[in-house]
Formats: sequence, structure tokens, C-alpha cells
Amino acid sequence: MPMLLLDILVSGLVLGGVYALISMGLTLQYGVARIMNLAYGEFLVGAAFIAFWLYTEVKISPLLGLIFAVPLAFLANWAIYRWLLTPLVTRANSRAQLEVDSILATFGLLFIVQGIALIIFGGQYYSYGYLAIPVSILGTQLALNRILALLFAVLVAIGLYWGLTRTRSGTAIRAIAVDPDAARLVAIDVPTASAFAFALGGALVAAGGVLVSMFLTFNAAMGVVFTMKALIVVIVGGLGNIMGALAVGLALGVIETSVSRLVDPGLTLAATYALFMVALLLRPQGIFRSLAR
Amino acid sequence: MSLKHAPLIALGLVGALLLAGLPLLASGYVLALAISMLSFTALATAWSLFCGPTHYISLASAAFFGLGAYMAAIFAEQVPWVIVLFIAAGAGLAVALVVGLSTLRLSGVYFAIFTFGLAELVRQLVVWYEVNIKGTMGRYLFLDMSQAAIYWQLLALTAATLAVSWLVGRSRLGLAARVIGDDEVVARHSGIDTTRVKVVLFALSCAIMALTGAIMAPRWTYIDPAIAFNPMISFQVVIMALLGGAGALFGPALGAIPLVVLFELLTANFPNAFSVLLGIAFIVIVYGLPRGVIGLLHDWSPRRERPRLATPAPFASQTSILAVDGLHKSFGGLRAVDDVSFRVELGEIVGLIGPNGSGKTTVLNLISGALRPDAGQIRFEGRSIDKAQPYRIAMGGIARTFQLVRVLPSMSLRDNISPSLAFRAIPATGCSADVATDRLLQRVGLHHCSETRAAELTYIDQKRLELARALALQPKLLLLDEWLAGLNPTELEEGISLIQSLRHDGVSIVMVEHVMHAIRALCDRCVVMSAGRVIAAGVPHHALCEPEVVRAYLGEADA
Repeated sequence: MPMLLLDILVSGLVLGGVYALISMGLTLQYGVARIMNLAYGEFLVGAAFIAFWLYTEVKISPLLGLIFAVPLAFLANWAIYRWLLTPLVTRANSRAQLEVDSILATFGLLFIVQGIALIIFGGQYYSYGYLAIPVSILGTQLALNRILALLFAVLVAIGLYWGLTRTRSGTAIRAIAVDPDAARLVAIDVPTASAFAFALGGALVAAGGVLVSMFLTFNAAMGVVFTMKALIVVIVGGLGNIMGALAVGLALGVIETSVSRLVDPGLTLAATYALFMVALLLRPQGIFRSLAR
Repeated sequence: MSLKHAPLIALGLVGALLLAGLPLLASGYVLALAISMLSFTALATAWSLFCGPTHYISLASAAFFGLGAYMAAIFAEQVPWVIVLFIAAGAGLAVALVVGLSTLRLSGVYFAIFTFGLAELVRQLVVWYEVNIKGTMGRYLFLDMSQAAIYWQLLALTAATLAVSWLVGRSRLGLAARVIGDDEVVARHSGIDTTRVKVVLFALSCAIMALTGAIMAPRWTYIDPAIAFNPMISFQVVIMALLGGAGALFGPALGAIPLVVLFELLTANFPNAFSVLLGIAFIVIVYGLPRGVIGLLHDWSPRRERPRLATPAPFASQTSILAVDGLHKSFGGLRAVDDVSFRVELGEIVGLIGPNGSGKTTVLNLISGALRPDAGQIRFEGRSIDKAQPYRIAMGGIARTFQLVRVLPSMSLRDNISPSLAFRAIPATGCSADVATDRLLQRVGLHHCSETRAAELTYIDQKRLELARALALQPKLLLLDEWLAGLNPTELEEGISLIQSLRHDGVSIVMVEHVMHAIRALCDRCVVMSAGRVIAAGVPHHALCEPEVVRAYLGEADA
């Protein structure tokens, strides 16, 4: 029994690393750029397909693929923010209205990106193994690629945290997260910094997608589930709070693994929702304080 | 109902007969298309019933549609069809209540996120139940029901949904929902139980969606969770309601009918690109038609309510109308309000003054119920109100204005005031409400523009409107938060005499104010706060001379 619990903890943390990685990008997009992006998970799936294609067709390793996929995602998200979402930002006269508009616009975007993936790749599942070398940690057999994803998540979290709290641009981004109108008054270029935060979020999720594709079976319709989990991690972790996203992402991984091992693998989403409900009932403002305060 | 409506009624009757007779005339293909149109009209109208006025976004139509379909699949062979429909509606209602009660107390974005995954969640739970309890996936539904029977049921349901939507739009419930959509805080302080309004409308809308699912179920002979909980349905419903315009009665129908035809063409001609084209259509609608086709056609006129007699407010006869004792409130480490006690006698004007950040607005927020005190008691007319909801307090007779003015920007001046009239302890509706509205607008000097949208007013006029809205509650106690700030000297004198006239009407007032001239002119007593504590109280002239008060305002040197 203790062995099983340890096993759950270790594999849960590794799964949680993936959730944390993909949630950090969303916390930037929603916390700073104030875009509730429902198409977020589609970019994860998109990057996974790119990595798959590079590996199977061009024989480029996914780790090298990162160098290609991440800047591409950055550019794509920059363009989306600039041309698709900026009109909504200027049109909205309150934060609530921007939320409503961005939910609707990205809901449409979700179906467009998903539709393109469906046209190219169809509805079937894809997978390829890369770095699937078993490693034993505390008696639990884990694949190297999963551990790599966890390490990457922790590194990104530390790097982002450092960047946001120790640099000038990071301070500007945090100021925007608190109040975009006030940030403008102290000579911060809000549109540019918001676009940067949004694009950076998109780049992070693409990195997550490439890493996840090394060990997860994926298909064109799977983005929604990732979006949902990331959204819940962001809300519970506090908007724009990088460390909150890391902690809640890891916790979600452990909770899901427990449910899937001890109860039923089919109920993982119910577990996510239970976490969400409990968090909302206990602390409607988020478990962790937002970046704002 | 007057004679001039007769042609319209006749037209409606002919239309209804034609619609009802369609199955006898049309071919199978046309009938199938009509069924599709009706079911989406019912779904989109039901969606707009809740989401239209409140501006909350539900992405969970598929969850309730699928739930209804599944209930039909489970019970169709065991009980009569009518009972199946009741079970389906009941199941939709029950799930909606659980979801609504847990998420609708919070801000709209949590609700949207929750509903975003709800269909997938319900699907997982159904799959889990089917696999673990029943042992197999999917169900066969052998029901001898003709296309015509499905069509007639849907026609009845759609008509009923439109009727419900029309009735809600005319009722206090609909008015409350529109106020929530414009500003939820204002709604709460106008006497509206916002959670109840939202949960009731959401549950109603979901029950209709579940019924639609149940009626549509016999069209499939085999149902499994992937078919019933198809997320595309949620998407289609939102796009239809938005295209037509979710704020108007026939808006959703106007969106559903052309889009069903469009979807039909798309699936027939571009089956692979369906999703992409749908997404593009959706974005075009969100950008190009934010208020739907209906919004393009006209700005719908404000609705009038049925006349009803208003009764005068009962006469209150206690002396101490408000008693605040030992009030505490902290935000994190900051003690915003620290052991504050004071009393307001009937008919008195009490000034609450002090430097910025001394906790004056927090005290008003505690009295009006926007915040809960950490400790201490607030009694209004002898009853404890420190645990009451804001809407209860507003109904009980405490009205407030906000330091940063809050009006319902997209509604007319008249509609800004009518919620308070409709939700106060003794509601006024219809003609008496119109008369009361005119009188209130006259009183604050806005009678010349009662149909203007509140957003178009100047800041000062918005403040006036806010006061009229507060007065519409027939308050016994009025909380004014820097209502005189920002007025020019002439306006200031007008404002002072307006407040003076309220005192003659028997309204007691607590006013937070920095304009000392006004404090001296109006207040019987004042309470001076600094750093969360009461440092002086008494007649303005004396209280303002106390050394501690001078120190708080001007610093040590002048004390």
C-alpha cells in the first residue's frame, strides 16, 4: 500500500508537470493579456502534430523540433492577438465585456484550428515514441520523456518567475496584470506588452505540445480537454500567478492519478471538476493570490 | 388587446395552422429540415432566455440536450412517453440547479469555464455508469414514433418556449435579469436576489433543452454518449442565438432558421471543411454583428409593465433608525474599520468624514451589505442586518449611491429606475411606476431626457440618476458616498438643497463627504474617522475643531 501511494505520487507529479507547463502559458494570456482563450489547447495539439510530422517524415528529433515549433507558435499567436483580438480589446469598455467577447471569438477560433487539423490529419489517433527509456525513481518505473517534461516545466516556471519579478519588462507585465489603464499612465506600452504576453503564452503551450507528443497519444479533437484543465489550473492558481499554476498543476496531476488508479480511469475529468468546485466554494478569488497583489 | 391587433392575430393563426399542417403536405426531406429548424429554434430561444439578458455565456447546451436524449433512451420502453418527457425535463432541471447553485454565485467567467467542460463531464459520467453499472455502452431505442409526431411535439415545445420567453421578458424576473446583465452590483443594491434570478432562469432554460433532446431522441435508433453529447450542438446553439440577437424574443429563431439551411448545405457540399467554415462564420458574427440581426433592425423599445396599484409606504416610528456597534473589518493585514460605533436617529443627517483611506466607504459597504463585518453589529430599525444579503437590505429600506458612480449604461434613464421600483418592499409597476419615475427624474432634474441611455449622461447627471435610483427604493435610510464631490458652486448649492428636501420627507441620511461647507450646512452630527477608528463625533462645528481631527486632516504642526 505505501508502495502504491508513492507510485501514485511520483507518476502524479510527472503528469502534473505537463499540466503546470501548459497552464503557465494560459495564465499569461488570461492574466496579462486578459484574453480568455478557449482555443488554447488547439495550439498544443497543433505543435504535437508538427513534432510528429518532423519526426516521422523529416527524421528530426522532437527536441530539435522545439526550436522550430516554439518561434512559429510565438509568431502565430502574436498575429492572432494583433489582428484578431486587438479589435475586441479596443471595443470592450469593461473587463467583463472583453471576457465575453474573447470567449466567443476564441470559441470560433477553436473550431477553425480543429477543423484544419481534421482536414489534414483526420480524426484518428497518432503517437510515436521518443526517449521512451525506462528510468526508476523511488521504485517507480517512469519513461525518460515524461521526466524531461517535468524538468522543463520546473525550469520554465523558475525562469518566468525570475523574469517577471526581477526585470523591467517583467515589472511592466505585472503592472498590466494589475490594471492596464493605470499601466498606460506610467508610460508602459500596454498593447505591445500584452501582445508579447499573449504570444509568449502561445509559445509555451506549443513547447508543451511538442514534449507531450513524445509520450501521449493524441488526435485532432483533443485540444478542448487540455484547455479545460489549463483553465481550471489557472483559476485555482490565481490569474497570472506562475508559481500558483505550477503548484496547482502538480496537485491536479496527483489528484487525477489517484482517481484513475484508485477509482476509475474514466473519471479523471470529474476529479478535475471536483477540484474546481471545492476551490471555488472555499476561495472564490483563487487558492493563491493573483499576480496582481 | 385592441382591434388594430386583429389582422396580426389572424395572420398568426394562419401561420400557426400552416406550420401545424406541414407534415400533411411536405416531403420527408422538407419535414426533416423543418424538424431540425424547430429543435434549434427551441434550443437557441431557451439559451437566450438565460444568456440573453444576463450576458452570461453557457457553453453547455449539448450537456442538457444529451441528458434529455439519454433519459428518453433509458425510459422510453418502460413508461408512457408523457412521463418520459417529464423525467427528461426533471433531469435537466436537477443538473442545472446543481451547476447553477455552485457556480452562479460567482462572476460570469467561472460559469462560462464550468459550462465549457460540462458536456464532456456529463458524457464521462454517463460512460462510467454505462460501463460499470450496466455493463454495455450505447442503447437501442425502438419507438414507433413518426416524423410527424416528432414535428408536432417540437412545434408545441417551440411555441411554449417562445411564450415562456415572452412572459419572462415582461415580468419582474426578466427586468431583474437585464439589470444583472448591465451591472450586477447595482442589481444587488436595488433589491434583486441576483443568485435566485440567475438560477431560476438557468434551470428553466436547461429544462427546455433537455425536453428538446428527449423529443429528438426517437430519430436515432441507437444512442451512445458520443452521439448524444456532441459538443458541436453547444457551438451551433450559441452561434444561432448570437446571429439573430439573444436580447429579442424572435432573435434566436431568426438566427436558427437560416443557419440550419446553411449547415445543411455545408455538410452536403463540404463535409470536411464544415468545422472550419463554421468557425469562420462564428467569428464574422462576433465581430460584425455584436447585437445580432435584430440589433441591426431596431433598438427595441423599453417594455412597459401591467398596471398595478401602489400602496404608500408604512410609517416607521422608532427613534434610532440605525445602530452600529463595535464594527470591525480587515483586508489582509489592514484594519480598514476598527471598532466603529455610532447611531443615526430618525430624520437625522449624519456626516461620516475623515481623511482618504480612513474607512468611510468600507463602513457604507458594511451597512449596505456589500461586505460582511468581521465583528460587530449593525441594527436597522431594531433588526440585526449584519448578516443580510445586499438585496434584502435594499428591500428593507436602505438605499445607497456609489463613490465611483454606477449606472446601468445600456439602459434608458427610465429603465435605470424601474428595477428599484419593481423590487422594493412594496413594488410599483405599470402606470404608477411611470408616474413615480417621472416624479423622481423631475426631482433630480433629469425629466427632460428620460429615454436617453444612461451612458450618454455627463458624470454629474449620472450621479443625479444614481440618486433617483436610490430614492426609488423609498428608502428610510440613504447612504450617500461623496455624492456632492465634483459639483461646481451652483450645482453644489442645488445639491445641498436637494438633500435638505429629502430630510423633510423623513429620510435619514448617512453621508460620506469631503465638502466641509456641505457638512456644516446639512449635518446634524458628524462622525470623524481616521485609520479605521472613530476619533471624534458630535455637532460639526465642535467635532471639526477637536485637536485630533485637525491633526488627522492637517498634520501635527497645525494641531
